[in-house]
Amino acid sequence: MSGEPALMSMIDVANAIRDRKISSREATQSCLDRIAKWQPHLNAYMAIETEEALAAADAADAALAKGKIAGPLHGVPMAHKDMYYDAGKVTTCGSKIRRDFVPTTTSTALQRLKDAGTVRLGSLQMVEFAYGPTGHNPHYGAVRNPWNVDHITGGSSSGSGSAVGARLTFAALGSDTGGSIRMPAHFCGVTGFKTTVGLISRAGAMPLSQSLDTVGPLAQTVEDCALLVGLMAGADSADPTTSTRAVPDYMSAATGSMKGMKIGVPTAFYVEDLDPEVARVLDETIATLGKEGAEIVKVELPDQRQLSAACQLVLAAEAAAFHKRWLIERPQDYGAQVLMRLQNGLAIPAVSYLEAMRWRGAALAAHLAAVTGVDAVIAPVAPMPAVTIAESDIGNSHDAEAVIQRITRFTRPINYLGLPSLSIPAGFTAKGLPVGMQLIGRPFDEAGLTRIGAAFQRATDYHQQVPKLP
Amino acid sequence: MSRPDAKQVKVMTEVAGVPQDTEVAERIARSIGPAFDGFAPVAGTLPMDLEPATFLLVQNAGVSK
Repeated sequence: MSGEPALMSMIDVANAIRDRKISSREATQSCLDRIAKWQPHLNAYMAIETEEALAAADAADAALAKGKIAGPLHGVPMAHKDMYYDAGKVTTCGSKIRRDFVPTTTSTALQRLKDAGTVRLGSLQMVEFAYGPTGHNPHYGAVRNPWNVDHITGGSSSGSGSAVGARLTFAALGSDTGGSIRMPAHFCGVTGFKTTVGLISRAGAMPLSQSLDTVGPLAQTVEDCALLVGLMAGADSADPTTSTRAVPDYMSAATGSMKGMKIGVPTAFYVEDLDPEVARVLDETIATLGKEGAEIVKVELPDQRQLSAACQLVLAAEAAAFHKRWLIERPQDYGAQVLMRLQNGLAIPAVSYLEAMRWRGAALAAHLAAVTGVDAVIAPVAPMPAVTIAESDIGNSHDAEAVIQRITRFTRPINYLGLPSLSIPAGFTAKGLPVGMQLIGRPFDEAGLTRIGAAFQRATDYHQQVPKLP
Repeated sequence: MSRPDAKQVKVMTEVAGVPQDTEVAERIARSIGPAFDGFAPVAGTLPMDLEPATFLLVQNAGVSK
């Protein structure tokens, strides 16, 4: 096999290992070689477990030689956001408080990927306690964008976006409570899948907001993400909020065309106050979707600002409740910005929080009525491409919350509604920064988004672009 | 629903068991104010029989287009 194995898509490398065109060790070593070159520039990894990874790869190769295949990802090396508990492994959650935390259980999502045969490369950086959209981290340093290391990755799955973007892992788990998968996917030029609330178990994943948290992957392609979602989805006795509905075959959905699909373009909010280059990419994306056979229609969505406000009330209150003990005992151990945001939640009255929760069903019903007959809504992930690390280093300044709200403007309403949203690379700015678009689906219709997203990626090559080493 | 001012925030943080000083209370009031403003058109308008679990009913009913 010629070329760097680390540059292959996850599915391609899985097939190559299974067909013995390359070994798991070769795939793992290729990732480790790239990590050694890129990590000093990106700070994407929290922990790099070279010896353990190679030993696990050798074990996978030995099993394969005996005809034993663990699953569809046999021998594929991977690293994930450092908030997925892996029994016996330090899981920092990007924090000082959990710097030495060693869980005794393994998260369901991670275990299902292990059962599919993956090899652990280490763990990936993240925003402290997953509570921030930029990628800054006062304890472990900012993660850097592989397309321009002076720019942010987006957060909170900062290491996941950066590492997948630079091809330092074939895929990575992220989590999305207010946009934390979609924003790093957008800023770093990779595919990210925020799943429907309730599709994938949250057991063993660090909580931020029990009503809004979702588990999902970042990877090179829509098919990669769809395979990972399919492996992780489904009922879990350890998380009774997980849906019991049957998990569809997302991979067969990936082979469909866009013909017969109806895609809605919002008439307001998501098309307002856009950076000109994001607006251009949105127009180009709509044109491509239409050219590939999708029917494009205008949709008038309910007031997204109200959804965003409701999301803020729910997130702030639930996050503060999770952290209350440490807010009392260890406030000095939080970074300034996360402490500030957690303190905000102390001032949300119970009645306001519950009103926001009570309205959620009605708000979703109104949204679904507005998109009747529509398979997906197309929208930018953020109004702007990646800003610089310096200009977004807002700490706990008076303007910090306003800046955070602007960056997450287009993602928070979707979290409040609990909808799936697929972020796909859709273009580049003149300065070479990636721009992503999100396809927002109906509840539990990850298959429909997979069909549209995969067809889009067959018609474009933005997802295949690889950044150059600085 | 109106946004809480700094004095109210200070009291609320005390009641929550994590008291904050006046400067932090002022900062919190500024930060969360827009969320209260944004939700104001909805607050106080919801029918009595609406409860949080309605979300799950709507979610399951809304799968097909």
